[in-house]
Amino acid sequence: MLELVNLKKAFGSHVVLDDISLTVPTGEIVSILGPSGCGKTTLLNVILGLTELTSGKIIYDGVDLSSVPMKKRGFNIVFQDFALFPNLNAYDNIVYGLRNNKNASTPAEVNDLIDLLNLREHLSKRIDELSGGQKQRVAIARTLVMKPKVLLLDEPLSALDGLIKESIKERIKTIARQFNLTTIIVTHDPEEALSLSDRVLILNNGKVAQYAEPKTIIHAPESSFIKDFILKQLMIKRDNIFRLFDSTMPAVPAMSYMQTAAASA
Amino acid sequence: MQFLGRERPELKLSFLLCALFLALILAYPLFSILRLAFIGEQGFTLSYITDALTRDSFYTAFLNSFKVSALVALLATAIGFFAAYGLSFCAFKNKTRSLIEVVLLLPLFLPSITYGFAVIYSFGRQGLITRAIGQLPFSIYGFAGLVIAGVIYTLPPAFMIMQNSFAYVDRNFVTVSKVMGDGLLRQFYQTALRPTLGSLVSAFILAFFLNFTDFGIPTSIAGRYDVIATRLYATMMGAVPDFNNGSVIALSMLIPSIISVVILRRCSRLNFRYNKISKEPPAPNRLRDTCFGTFYALLSLLLIGVFAIIFIVPFVKSWPYQAYFTLDTIRRVFAENDIAGTYINSLGVAAASALCGTALCYLAGMVNARSKLPGWCKALMDIFAMVTNIVPGMVLGVGFLFAFSGTALANTFAILVLANVVHFFTTPYLMAQQAFSKMNAGFETTAALMGDTWFQTLRRVVIPNSFGTILQMFSYLFVNSMVTISAIVFLVGAYTQVTTSKIKELQYFEKFDAIFTLSVLIFITNVAVKLLIDGYGAYQRHRQNHSAK
Repeated sequence: MLELVNLKKAFGSHVVLDDISLTVPTGEIVSILGPSGCGKTTLLNVILGLTELTSGKIIYDGVDLSSVPMKKRGFNIVFQDFALFPNLNAYDNIVYGLRNNKNASTPAEVNDLIDLLNLREHLSKRIDELSGGQKQRVAIARTLVMKPKVLLLDEPLSALDGLIKESIKERIKTIARQFNLTTIIVTHDPEEALSLSDRVLILNNGKVAQYAEPKTIIHAPESSFIKDFILKQLMIKRDNIFRLFDSTMPAVPAMSYMQTAAASA
Repeated sequence: MQFLGRERPELKLSFLLCALFLALILAYPLFSILRLAFIGEQGFTLSYITDALTRDSFYTAFLNSFKVSALVALLATAIGFFAAYGLSFCAFKNKTRSLIEVVLLLPLFLPSITYGFAVIYSFGRQGLITRAIGQLPFSIYGFAGLVIAGVIYTLPPAFMIMQNSFAYVDRNFVTVSKVMGDGLLRQFYQTALRPTLGSLVSAFILAFFLNFTDFGIPTSIAGRYDVIATRLYATMMGAVPDFNNGSVIALSMLIPSIISVVILRRCSRLNFRYNKISKEPPAPNRLRDTCFGTFYALLSLLLIGVFAIIFIVPFVKSWPYQAYFTLDTIRRVFAENDIAGTYINSLGVAAASALCGTALCYLAGMVNARSKLPGWCKALMDIFAMVTNIVPGMVLGVGFLFAFSGTALANTFAILVLANVVHFFTTPYLMAQQAFSKMNAGFETTAALMGDTWFQTLRRVVIPNSFGTILQMFSYLFVNSMVTISAIVFLVGAYTQVTTSKIKELQYFEKFDAIFTLSVLIFITNVAVKLLIDGYGAYQRHRQNHSAK
């Protein structure tokens, strides 16, 4: 279980994260959602240990990690642009961490990972020969070899297109279930967040706007911000798709949300 | 080291190392010049300044330098512009293109002091070119010689700036201009001149600066025509050295450099770049292509005509009267003048300078582009790069002389290496910084999460992914250390002669066959090193591309 207690981060007088408290049960997927500049990447970096906290606590399984350095926390991250090492091929990227810690994973475990992520035929390829989805999978495999306690993913789908997005989504879910791995995902896309995760944390101006299961957010949004900026987007998407498939229009048209938004603004 | 914020200790150490080192070999020598220019026996004084400013010789030298450099810069920029324009707009074969480029860049591999002698031998009374086109109406010593050699010296950098600029000019605009009904002049202005105007100014300023501060050419060909570089040398190393006066002259050399930097910053705004460049080759145009073909042929003939002499003199009996092939001359030259020893010294100094310089610039680049050190640490590296760019080699040499004479460093190879490292700091530093800022920002964090120490990441990820740049940095530093004379001419001792300072010494004894032999050695070495490094880089890339399969 990962607990964040009254997290605060300020750069000088500029407060980026303000009093964030929440609990992530082990094995769950949590998405951090919000507009750009809301502090979601900072929160990810704070959990990872890359950015120092101003105040508050990060507790994992009862142990206070707030002042434990990044390398010793046992968390790991896949960056948005994957940060694969171009001088090494796909396989050497995957086993990079084993050079420093031979016992992180057994050869059999590495093999299973390769199969799970469907990378067998790409192992000897150079990084620039891989497609976006393949790069993503190599980066995830490289991280999983280290058996992190918490897996952090920074915008994992934004560099991918169309169908690959959906297949990577499924794979992230499979991994979280199979390894009972707590996974935290940063995204700016409501559809991605709500369809991928067990819980969604919506940030606005460095504060928690809502932290709940996707269904709760859809049916009981806690603020007009969530209605205006998150649900409205989904409604428009839904309407467009319904229209495309020529189905009957849904009961609540997006327009009504827009009108309330206009009224509240 | 709390004041350096939260960053790995290795990077903090790198910063402190770079900062202290550059303070010692850049700031301290410059400070020494200021001290000698402003501090007399009774403390602070302006008398050395006023004393220097009341001497006519100072004004004459300064003005002469100014005149020569302005004319050189004008000619070199114009030739460089048309050379680059032709390559960009004419329908030449790729082989022709590369050949033209190689010929235009050849002078880079020779010391500037050699150009002077080559010009004397080509344009002098018995020169190759004089014989071809007849007696020149002016003496080659002095103004005319300085201008000719200066243009040869500054043409390669001016050409490179213009060529780089034309790479961003879209030729499709010629078509646009034509269908809009522009006349030839307006078309030329719109599609070539205006887009490269900023670079044109940069090329002029750089050529001016290079020529103004060069020592090699005036020392070989100026004769009695006094310029600032020879004046500084004479004041410092003459029969009656006057260090206070020398320091004032050195400071005066900084004036054009500082103005250059200010103008260069301004004129970068003049440039504009088309963000999408069409790859379409230019359409053939018989008249235009023939005109430019002739222009390149003449230019190449002139350059090769000037440099050919360097490769002829060592291999004939006695130029120009007994001009038949023999190895006697070169044997005699080697036997008489300790050529081999000097050459080995030069190789050692160049290799050590390249090694130390690459390491220093690499670390400084890393501090600037790949660390979370406070902003002032990063800015400090940029400031060092800017200052080393402003300070001419001769001024640096004078500063080193003041700062380190009497210390254990004086008359050692180490002081030559240090001078080279700081003299050529800017370009390799910028190369490293650029490579680092292009590198994925997540490498260090990712590798650290995989259990790497800083050194492991450096060895396994950072260096392999910037290896091409490291080779280029090394090559730049090596070639420049081989051909430089301006800084080290003040610092070589009796046992630490290098090839360029030896050439200066041989000039005194009028041993031109030995001078040209050394020049040939420098040229061959530089070309070999360049080819070797480029070849090795290509091989590494090739291996990386194929080992994966």
